[in-house]
Amino acid sequence: MPAPQRKLHLTNSGGRDATVLFGSLKARRGATLGLPGKTVRFRRFVSAAASGLHDALAEAHGEDYAEALVQGDPEIDLEVVGRPLGETAQVYLAHDGEVLHAPPSWVEVIYGPDGEEKERRPPEDREGNVSGDLPVRWTGRKIGKGEAIRRFVFTRTLQLTHQDGLTYDYLHGIAQELAEENVLVMMGGGPKGRDPLVFQTNGSPYRGFLEGRVDGARYQLLLHLSNMELKRPEEPAAAVKDSTAVKDSTAAKENT
Amino acid sequence: MARQIVVERGGTTSAFDFAKVDRSKLYGRRRRVPLDPTGEPCTRASLSEDGTVLVRSGMTAQGYYTDEGHWVPNGELVSLDEAGQPKEPVKTTLGEPQALDGPFGPERVLDLVPHALYALTPADVDEALVASLRAGEVYELPFAYRTGYIEDTALLVAGEQGELFALVGRIVEPIWREAEERIPSVLEDDGDDDGDLDFEMF
Repeated sequence: MPAPQRKLHLTNSGGRDATVLFGSLKARRGATLGLPGKTVRFRRFVSAAASGLHDALAEAHGEDYAEALVQGDPEIDLEVVGRPLGETAQVYLAHDGEVLHAPPSWVEVIYGPDGEEKERRPPEDREGNVSGDLPVRWTGRKIGKGEAIRRFVFTRTLQLTHQDGLTYDYLHGIAQELAEENVLVMMGGGPKGRDPLVFQTNGSPYRGFLEGRVDGARYQLLLHLSNMELKRPEEPAAAVKDSTAVKDSTAAKENT
Repeated sequence: MARQIVVERGGTTSAFDFAKVDRSKLYGRRRRVPLDPTGEPCTRASLSEDGTVLVRSGMTAQGYYTDEGHWVPNGELVSLDEAGQPKEPVKTTLGEPQALDGPFGPERVLDLVPHALYALTPADVDEALVASLRAGEVYELPFAYRTGYIEDTALLVAGEQGELFALVGRIVEPIWREAEERIPSVLEDDGDDDGDLDFEMF
C-alpha cells in the first residue's frame, strides 16, 4: 500500500477526536500486456478528422460514399490524423454540435431498479464530510463480523494510520478495543454523526465500519465501506406479469 | 446450457447457476445529464492540449507502441507477470469443478476487495455445503470468468436470509502499522557525551 496521505478526522469511543491519515487497500496488479524484454507504451492518437466522420462524409458525398473514399481519400486529413493525444480538456457540445462556451446546466435523472426513468430534478451538490471541522463519529452501533459480512457488501476498504506518536497511541487504542470485542463499529458523518461518509464533493456515500486488529505493539485499523446490502434483487414485476400471462394464456387455451 | 460455478469439497461436487448483482439492480441509479441552453442534452468531447483539435466520439484510436515508435499488433502482445516474464493463460473455471478451500471465518471476506457479486442458485448441490454456508462459514475457490490472464478469488457466503452468493475479487493484506514508522530517526549516540551542558555552542 502506498504511504497514505489523505486525512480523516474521527472520534473514538470516548468522544476524543484526532486527525489521522488513510489510504485505500488495493489488490496487487495482475498481469500486464507487453513484449518480453521490451518496453511498450499505450498511446492514444487521432484516427480521423471531423470531416472524416460518417455524418460529414454522408453530407459531402451522399449516403453511399464508398466509391468517393476509394477515389479521393476524403476521410484522410494529413494535418490531423496520426497526432498523438496526451492530456485533453473536456468540453461540451450543444445538440447542434457547437462547442459550449459557458458551463452547461445539469439535470439529475433517477432510474428505478427496473431501469425505468422515475424522476428528473435539479442536482444537489453533496459535500465531502470526512476531513472537515466535523469529525467522523463513533456511533457506538456495533455489529459482529459474522453478521456484517452476511448483511453488507464491502466494496472498498481504507487503512488508517498514525501521523505521529500521539495518534499512534490513539489508533492503537481503538484497534485494541475493537479487536478485544471482535466487532465492527459503525462510523457516521455530518452534524449528528449519523450520515453516510462522503469522501469528496459529489462522491458516492458509503456506510463505514471500523475494524481493529492488534499484534502486540502493531495494529491494523480498517474502515470497511459499503454502499449495498448482500441480497438478491427483487424479481422484476414484468417477469411476474409474464408468468401470469403464460398461465392466463394457457388457461385461455384450455377454455377454448 | 448456461455455464455454472462448479465446486468440489470432500469428493462431492456442487453446481450453481449464477447471475450478476449490482447496486443499480437493488436500488436503481442516478445520472447527471448536461443540458445546452435550449434544454437538449449535450455530448462530451475533448480538446487537445494545444487547443487545435476538437476530438469527437469516433475520432481516436489506441494501441501499444515500442520506444522506437513502432506499433505492436495486439496478437503479438503477451501477458507478463510482475517480473516481466511471460505468463501462461488461465483457463476459465466455469463449468469445471474447483476445489474449495476452507472453511474460513468472516475476516476472509473483510480481506477481499470485490469487483463482482453473483447470486447463486443451487442446481445440483451438496446439502452439507449449503448448511455450512448458512451457518456462517466461508469457502474460497479460484475464479476466472473467461480463459485469459485474469484469475481472481471467489468467496462463497450466505446472506442473512440464507441466499447464497459468490463475491469475486482479490485478497489483500493490510500492513501492520508500528509506532516507529512515522517518527524520524535520530543519529546513534556515539558515546562521547560526558554529561556537561555546553552553553558556549550557542
